[in-house]
Amino acid sequence: MPDICAAAGGVSELIANNIFTMVAVSAVTASVIIAASYMIGQFLQNPRLTAWSKSEVIQLLVSVSSAIILVAMMSGFCSIQIGDIAAIFSQTSPGAGNIYQGGMDYLRDAAIYAGNAKTVVRYHLEAYTVLSSVSKFECDFPIGGGIGLGCMFGYSGTSVQPFGTTAYTSALNVMFNSAIISQMSALNLLIILSAFYKGIVFLFLPLGIFLRTMPYMRGFGALLIALSLSFIIVFPLLLGALSIMGNVLIDKPAFVPNVGGTSLGGFLDEGVFNSASGLGQSAAAGAFGGSDSIRSTYFPDGDNPVGAITFAACAFVAAVFLPMVALLGAIGSTVYLARLYGEEIDLSRITQLV
Amino acid sequence: MKRIMLLLMLVPLAFAAGEWTGVAALAIATSVGLLVILFMVGHGFSINELEITAKEELYQVIVAGLLVIFLVASDNVLDMISNNQELTGGAATIQDAAVQSLGNDLSSLNSLLSAVGGYDQSTAYQASRTLQCSIMSIGYSVSGCGGYSMLTTPISMAGGIIGFATAEVSTMKRLIEISQAFAMPFLLPLGILLRTFKITRGAGGLLIAVAISLHIIVPIGVIFNDMLGATFLADTAKSAGYDPTSAPDVQVKSCNPGDVTTTPFFVDLGAASGAEKAYSGISDWMSGGGVCDGDNNEDRATCAYGTLRLGLRNYLYIILLKATIGPALALLMMAASIRALSALGGAEIDVSAISRFI
Repeated sequence: MPDICAAAGGVSELIANNIFTMVAVSAVTASVIIAASYMIGQFLQNPRLTAWSKSEVIQLLVSVSSAIILVAMMSGFCSIQIGDIAAIFSQTSPGAGNIYQGGMDYLRDAAIYAGNAKTVVRYHLEAYTVLSSVSKFECDFPIGGGIGLGCMFGYSGTSVQPFGTTAYTSALNVMFNSAIISQMSALNLLIILSAFYKGIVFLFLPLGIFLRTMPYMRGFGALLIALSLSFIIVFPLLLGALSIMGNVLIDKPAFVPNVGGTSLGGFLDEGVFNSASGLGQSAAAGAFGGSDSIRSTYFPDGDNPVGAITFAACAFVAAVFLPMVALLGAIGSTVYLARLYGEEIDLSRITQLV
Repeated sequence: MKRIMLLLMLVPLAFAAGEWTGVAALAIATSVGLLVILFMVGHGFSINELEITAKEELYQVIVAGLLVIFLVASDNVLDMISNNQELTGGAATIQDAAVQSLGNDLSSLNSLLSAVGGYDQSTAYQASRTLQCSIMSIGYSVSGCGGYSMLTTPISMAGGIIGFATAEVSTMKRLIEISQAFAMPFLLPLGILLRTFKITRGAGGLLIAVAISLHIIVPIGVIFNDMLGATFLADTAKSAGYDPTSAPDVQVKSCNPGDVTTTPFFVDLGAASGAEKAYSGISDWMSGGGVCDGDNNEDRATCAYGTLRLGLRNYLYIILLKATIGPALALLMMAASIRALSALGGAEIDVSAISRFI
C-alpha cells in the first residue's frame, strides 16, 4: 500500500503518478459519458437530457476541483511539521513529524498510555487475588512468631484468610475493562487513520468523482468524496492537535501520571509475580511476623488503588473520549461536505457505533 | 485554476508566520481571495450558484474575522466569567475552584475506599475463621463464622460503586486540567483559524465549541453541583437527623469459630414507620447494648450488617451526589454545549454518542 508522505520520489510524484492519473481517467470517462448524453440529447431534441448534461459538467468541475484541493491539502500536510503548528500558538509539541505522523503518533502513544494503565490496574488485581487466597493457621496457646503450644503435640488452632480484597477487586475490575477498551479504541482509530492515509483515499476519490456524474449515484459519489476529504484532512488535523497536547493528555514522555504527587511507574514491573514463591513467602511470614510481610512483597511502598483507577480514567479521556470527539468531528464534517455537494446524507447510524 | 492552486499553496506558508493572529489574518485573506475568484468565475460564466455560494461564504469569513477580533480585543470576557467571585468561592478562577472541589472529592473517596477495604478485610478475616483440632490424624473442624459471609457481597458492591465514582471524578478533574492548559491558548484560536476555510469549518467549529465548553461549562457544572450539595447538607440532611459527612461507626466484632449456637433474633421496630422505623429500630438495637456483644456469632454478624447499613448512609452524600450525579450533570451540560456551539460555529456535530459515555 502506498504511503502518502513517505512515497518514493515524494508526495508530488505519488500524486502525479497515482491520484491525478486515476482522477484523470475517471474525469475523462465521465466527460465522455456526459458528451455522449449531450449529443444524444441534441440528436433526439430532448431538452431534459441536454440540461442534465450541462448540469453534470458543472458537477464534474466541482468534483475535480475537490480532488485538486484535496491533493494540495495532502501535500501541505506532508510538509507542515506538527512542531510548527504548536509554535504558532506558543505551545511546545512533545512530538515531531508532519500532521499525519502527529496524528498516528498520538494514537499509538495513547494506546501505550492505556496499556500502561491496564498494567497498573492489573498489577493491583494480581496482587489482591494472591492476597485473597493466602491462608494462615493460628495455633492455639500462642507463644509468639506464629507458633503456639496447640501445634506442638498435634494440630490445634484456627485457620483464617487474613486478607479480604473483594472491595478493591470489584472497584478495579471495572477499570480494568475500561483500560482494555481504551487501548482497543486507540488502536482501532489508528487502523482507520492508517487505512485512509495509506490507500483508501486513492480508491474513494477517483471512484467518487466518477460515480458522482452517474445518474442515481450522486449521493454515493458525494459520500466517497466527502469521506476522503474528512478523513484525510479533518481527522488527522484534530488528532494532530491532540498530539500537541500530549504532555498533559498522555503524560509524555513518561506515559504514567503522578497521582497525589506519587508516580505509578513502580507498578509497571510485574516481575514480582514470577519471582515470589509460595514457599518463600510462607517462610518469610513465619519468620518475620505474619501475613503483612506477604503484603509488602507485592506492595513494598504500599498499594494505590485510587491511583490505578485515576490512571484508567485518564487513559479513557486520552484514548476514547477525545479521539472520539475527533472522529465525531470527522463524521460531522463528512455530512457537512456531502451537503455542500448537494446531497443530504444521514450518518447518524454510524455515530451510534461510537 | 493556477491562481487557486497558488493561493492554496499559501496555506503552508501561513503556518510559518509565527503569531496565530497573523496566521488567522493570512487565512482570512486567502479565503477572501478564493471567494473573489469564485465570484468572478460565476459572474463570467453566468453561474448563479457560484455567485450565491461566494456571497454566503463571504459572510462566514466575516464571522471568522469577527471571532478573531472578539478574541483579541476582548480576551478578558471569558476570564471575567472565570474570575467571577460569586462562583469561585475564594479561588482565583472557576477552574481552580472546580479542581479544588474535585480534589477534595477524590480525597474523600480515597478515604472511603480505604475504610470499605478495612471492613472488607475484617469481615473476610472473621468469615474465614475455622477451628481445627487434630491429634494423630483424629480430630474435628468447625466453622461457626459463616454468618459473616453475607457481608462480603454488599461490601464488594460498595467497592465497585466507589470505583465508578472515583473514575468519574478523576475524569472531570482531568478534563478541567486539560482545559486549563490548552482550551484558551490553543484550542480556541486553532478552531477560529480552521473555521476560516470551508473544508475545515466543521473541525474549526467543533474545536471552538470544545474549548469554550471545557473552559466554562464543565467547571460551572462542578460548582453548580457543589451548591446543590451545600443545600442538601443544610436542609435535607439536617431534617433527616444525621450528619452525612461524619465518619461511620461500623462494628465488625470478633467471631468465635467454635461457637455454633444460634438464638432467635427479634428487633422491636416500635411505632415508627418507613425508613425512620427501620433506622430507629437498628439504632435502638445498637444502643440497647448486648446485641453487638451478643452471645453468639449470628448476633455479631447481624450487628455488623446493621452498623454497615447505618454507616452507608454517610457515604451517600459524597458517592451519589458529589461523585456520581455531579459529574454526570457537568458532562451532560458539556455535551449539550458542544452541540449548540458547534452548530453556531458552522457545523452541527452529533455528540449524543459522547453523552452515552456517561
